[in-house]
Formats: sequence, structure tokens, C-alpha cells
Amino acid sequence: MEEKQLVRLAQEGSPAAFEELVAKYQPKVFSMALSFTRNREAADDLAQEIFLKAYLALPRFHGKSEFGTWLYRISINHIRDFLRKKGRAKEISLDDVPEISFSDREQAEKAEQERETEARRTLVQTFVRSLPEKYRVIVTLRDIQGLAYEEISRILKLSPGTVDSRLHRARRMLRVKLAPYLTGEGGANELSQG
Amino acid sequence: MNCRKAEKLLLKSFDGRLDGRDRDLLASHQGTCPACRKAEKEYRTMLGLLKHGREAAPLPRFWERLEPRLREETELMPLLFWERWSLRAIPVFLTLVILLGGFLFFAPQARELGQSATLLLENRDPLSETQALFDTDKADTRTMMLLFASLDEKAPARRPVP
Repeated sequence: MEEKQLVRLAQEGSPAAFEELVAKYQPKVFSMALSFTRNREAADDLAQEIFLKAYLALPRFHGKSEFGTWLYRISINHIRDFLRKKGRAKEISLDDVPEISFSDREQAEKAEQERETEARRTLVQTFVRSLPEKYRVIVTLRDIQGLAYEEISRILKLSPGTVDSRLHRARRMLRVKLAPYLTGEGGANELSQG
Repeated sequence: MNCRKAEKLLLKSFDGRLDGRDRDLLASHQGTCPACRKAEKEYRTMLGLLKHGREAAPLPRFWERLEPRLREETELMPLLFWERWSLRAIPVFLTLVILLGGFLFFAPQARELGQSATLLLENRDPLSETQALFDTDKADTRTMMLLFASLDEKAPARRPVP
């Protein structure tokens, strides 16, 4: 069934149609929430609240944009509210970052390499959360969620040029912060593999 | 091309938004610039680590947990609607009460009824008493009665209560 049809049925009160929409968008909404919170339970709660909000707001959805874009907009606004309430916007200093040692990586076992890669992922996420909100949102939508520029532009109601410049700036800021930790193996070339 | 421009092109290249000419320019710059080659490696690592975040699997039984909440909210909606509107109705009601009270307070008071109106309301014929006077046979008596009647009209307080 087409998405538009599902949305129409959900607006008419069909739980089955809404369930299909939830099944389709749940992983994306959840991973978006997770990338902001880094806590699975909190991300799950947020995802539930986002779908609840979307369900109650469905009568006001007139199909001017794609359902996904509309849902992402609700998600971003809800997550922003959550973060503001939790006061998570504080800058994270380098002292807060877990220390990673690469001294004996040549001799390290595979498990150890995986642990390091995981530690680097955590580190990257930590630094993403330390970015100012307008950059954090862009990086999350583009580099974590993999959304297209045009879609990000529609979700955030920004011009593609602004999205481009903010993303460029955010990536540079991240790289500057992460540079000392990025020279090791483990996680390198993942982009080309993915 | 300087390193700053090369970095801009490099970031565009990750999103597949680089045309052939810029790609060649970037490649030739990187061939001669170790700093930009290092930057490329770092960016690739960083973006690879970021990309990993989208593979997060949600917690199980998401819909089963969501559905009761949707049902509950849907059932609560009329109550919430009433609550919202009742809160808005209170000031409207108070305004109406104040306006009505003000109107009643400042409206001109109803005047006391005149004698004719009283007689009419009491369903009495105002001419019946006068007619009785005129019906009197004696002229002197009639004149005196008319005189007293006119005095009574001027001083109604002295008129005996029937």
C-alpha cells in the first residue's frame, strides 16, 4: 500500500495503517533519538513520544510535504525540547573524553581492536553532542541518518546553501576536535566500505 | 588551489557532489599535499564512525508498547478538549457577568408610576369618582366636594387610605 494511502487511512482512524507507518519509520526515528541521547531507553521513550505526538497531530497533516519529512520535523523539535529540558547543551571539554591508548595496537587482539573502534564511536558521538545545536542537528541528519540535502533543507526549513555551509563547518569543527584520536586504525575506511 | 579550497571540495566529494573538473583539481592538489591527504583519511574515518550510528536496532515490541498509549490518548482527547475549552470559557463567562452587571447597575431606573398609570394598572376608572361628584344634586355640595377633591390631589398624603 502506498504511503499516502496509509496516511489517509491513519487519519481516518485505522490503527493498522498507523502501525505500518510506525514500522516503516521507527528505526529511523529511534536511531535519530539515540544519536542525540546515546541512551537506548531514553531514545526508545523519545521515539514513543514522537509517534504519539504524530498520531495526535495527524488530523493537521495536509500532505503539503512528505509524511517522512513531517515526522522528522516533529522528531527534531521533540528531541530539541527534550535536550533543552535535560540541559544537555553544555559544551563537553576534552577532559570529559575517555582516554584511548593506541600504544600496542599492532599486537592487540581482534577483540581489543573492536573495543577501540567502539571507544572511537563513543568518542565521535560525544563530540557530536558537544557541538552547538544547529551544527549537531545537521551532522545527525546528514552523516548519521544519511538524509539527502534537499530533505534536510525541507525538515529544518533552511535553504540548501545554509545546510551546505553549516554541514561543512560542523564537519570541520568535529575533525579539529577528533584529529588526535583519528590517526589510529579501527574504524578507518569504514566510509568506503559502507 | 589552496588547502582551504581543497578541503571544501573534499567534503563535497564525500556527498558525491563534485563535478569532473573539481575532482581532477582536488586529485592534483592532494597528490602534492600530504596535509590534505591526512585530512582526507581523518574525514573518512570520522564519517565512517558517524555512519555506524544509523544501524542502531530499536528496542523490541515497540508497537505493542505504543498502541495502548495511543488508545489511552485517544480516549482522553474529548476530556482534554473540554478541559482546554472550559479554561478558556471561564474568562468569557466572567466578562459576560461583568457586562451584564454593569448594564443593570447603570441602566436608568424605572420611574414611579403616575397616578393615571396606577389607576389603569389597578383597573380602576379614573372618571368614576369625579362622575359621582357631578351626579350630586346640590350645587353647593358639589362645589365643596370638588374643592376638597382638588386639595386631596395636591396633598395625597392626607388622603385617607381606603
